[in-house]
Amino acid sequence: MKAGYRQVKRRTGALRIIHWVNVLSMMVAIATGLYIAAPYYQTFMADSAVDKYVMAWNRWGHFMVAIIFDVTSIIIFYLTFFSRVDRPVKKIIPNKENLTQFWEVFLNLVTLNRRKKFNSEHNDSFNIVFFFMFHFLMIWMLMTGLQMYVHGLGSGLSSIGNWWPWMLHLVTDWTVPVAGWMVGGGPTTSIMDVRISHHITMWLLITWVVVHIYYQFWRTVFWKEGDISIIVGGSKYVKIKEGEEKK
Amino acid sequence: MSMENEESVKKLFTAESAKVDTNKGDAYYDELYISCQKRIEDLKKLTPLNNRVDFTESIEDQGLERRDFLKWASATTAMLMLPASFTPLVAEAAVLMNRVPVIWVELSDCAGNSEALLRSDGPKIDEIILDIISLEFHETLQAASGHQAEKQMNEAMEHFKGKYLLFVEGAVPLGMNGGYGTIGATGETFVDHLHRAAEGAAAVVAVGSCATFGGIPAAAPNPTDSVGVMDVVKGKPIINIPACPANPSNMVGVILHYVLTGSIPELDSLLRPKFAFGYRIHDNCERRAHFDAGEYVEEWGDEGAKNNFCLYKVGCKGPMTFNNCSIIRYNEGVNWPIGVGRGCIGCSEPDFWDKYAYERPMANANIKAPTGGVEKTVDEFGLGLLTAAGIGIGIHAAASAVAGKREDGGEY
Repeated sequence: MKAGYRQVKRRTGALRIIHWVNVLSMMVAIATGLYIAAPYYQTFMADSAVDKYVMAWNRWGHFMVAIIFDVTSIIIFYLTFFSRVDRPVKKIIPNKENLTQFWEVFLNLVTLNRRKKFNSEHNDSFNIVFFFMFHFLMIWMLMTGLQMYVHGLGSGLSSIGNWWPWMLHLVTDWTVPVAGWMVGGGPTTSIMDVRISHHITMWLLITWVVVHIYYQFWRTVFWKEGDISIIVGGSKYVKIKEGEEKK
Repeated sequence: MSMENEESVKKLFTAESAKVDTNKGDAYYDELYISCQKRIEDLKKLTPLNNRVDFTESIEDQGLERRDFLKWASATTAMLMLPASFTPLVAEAAVLMNRVPVIWVELSDCAGNSEALLRSDGPKIDEIILDIISLEFHETLQAASGHQAEKQMNEAMEHFKGKYLLFVEGAVPLGMNGGYGTIGATGETFVDHLHRAAEGAAAVVAVGSCATFGGIPAAAPNPTDSVGVMDVVKGKPIINIPACPANPSNMVGVILHYVLTGSIPELDSLLRPKFAFGYRIHDNCERRAHFDAGEYVEEWGDEGAKNNFCLYKVGCKGPMTFNNCSIIRYNEGVNWPIGVGRGCIGCSEPDFWDKYAYERPMANANIKAPTGGVEKTVDEFGLGLLTAAGIGIGIHAAASAVAGKREDGGEY
């Protein structure tokens, strides 16, 4: 550690692994998902059908990363409340302190770092709300995805038991009317609404990712806080101020 | 879907999509068998409602043998998802179908469903059965018109009150107080006509996509404010048999189920019988292997089309469409859309004209925005959103660069 700095632990190893697993999963999900939506490359006519399994592999990959996302989402949901460091739930409660902090971070962002009246050592409310948007979109993505997936198990059977499609129907059937309500149209809804919504949500998520990457780079470059090291090494290093005790 | 009242919110969170239970266990089927047997005995005691020829005779008249009929009976038993032991009961019930009165009303549509049940080249058993059902009233088919027709309908409704099955074909226009469609000499609006006919019905069967979900009359921008029967008729058992046109086999299936068990078949969340709409077309498609292999028809008439490749890239909506046409096909198994080399347009799904029938993959479709009018493809919308975010980021980054780096923006 450079002299004059102190270490602030921000992310556990598990969280960092999950973050990068999610990054990889998301890239796979987008590449395969776009293919499933409208196959954008072709197979060779001359190859025999048994050697090509292109759509099936794409779907396999898409479902695999979806299941990985399902599991990491459950872990993240748990850690939101019970993480050892920086429990996000503390910053999402709309109390006076958090609202003030949210507003201050936002003002600092739009005034290009001209008024930093908040503690940036730990999670701030603005960032946590931003992450919550991601989680919210992600939940919708997983629910709509599982709703479409379960129809492939139309007979109500699956290799891991009948409870699986039964549970998926129980947990995701409500997405059909909700998606229909969002997409608009007639009074009745179908899984096409779910599919359209799933596709649009992908674009919202990609947009979120672009903004997220920019924001983290911006904090690192313009705030000179080294925020990117949080998700790589797990800590950030804060300059010890005058009058502050060395730890 | 309106979120205005408590009821619709409740509906929202308890909605069930298709979930098919193909085996309900021996105890269930044993009990059902006994109750069906009893019902058939009771029906046998009733006299036929019409004076048309006997069913067995009309089959012979058409040059079909009893063997064909029994083959049909076993296929229909399978279609209704009943065990093979029910075949004799299904055969008996088919003969007794003229004991159940049917009233058929036609609203905003093209008469395609009537055509479907009439216009087969050589009538097969499904069509013959629809011939011998006790069709008490059918505007398009009957000779009577004007006041005469109205009288006939009133008499039929009075005589069979509470017993008849009401078949409805066509959407219900609600705009201009129902003024977009009137019927008969009194100028009764379609919606009033439907309410009057539904009042005394034992059950309402909506036939075709217009009657079930509004279909093409309800397609955007829906100037007549058309809706399906289930959005108008309340407090009656409703069975939806969508598709454009509805498959006569499924119409027979529903009537047969009613004759056999005295109850309506198990329905999904869109009130479609699960025996017909429990599976996606895609699950039983003959071209499914090409889908998995990534072998697609790229454009009409190409080498892929000649090799019967998957039609997904030219807009087949089989993966999103629930129907049994990939199993039973149309016109007694002659062929079906994918069999003739064109994709499924999802004709048995709600809003199919706007959301399914655009003949290209969903991601390349011009889907109407909820506000109407504005057309943008989903991916164009996504790229637009991304571009907007990129521009925002660019401006912010440039402004930040101009403002310069600061370690501490101020006091804290």
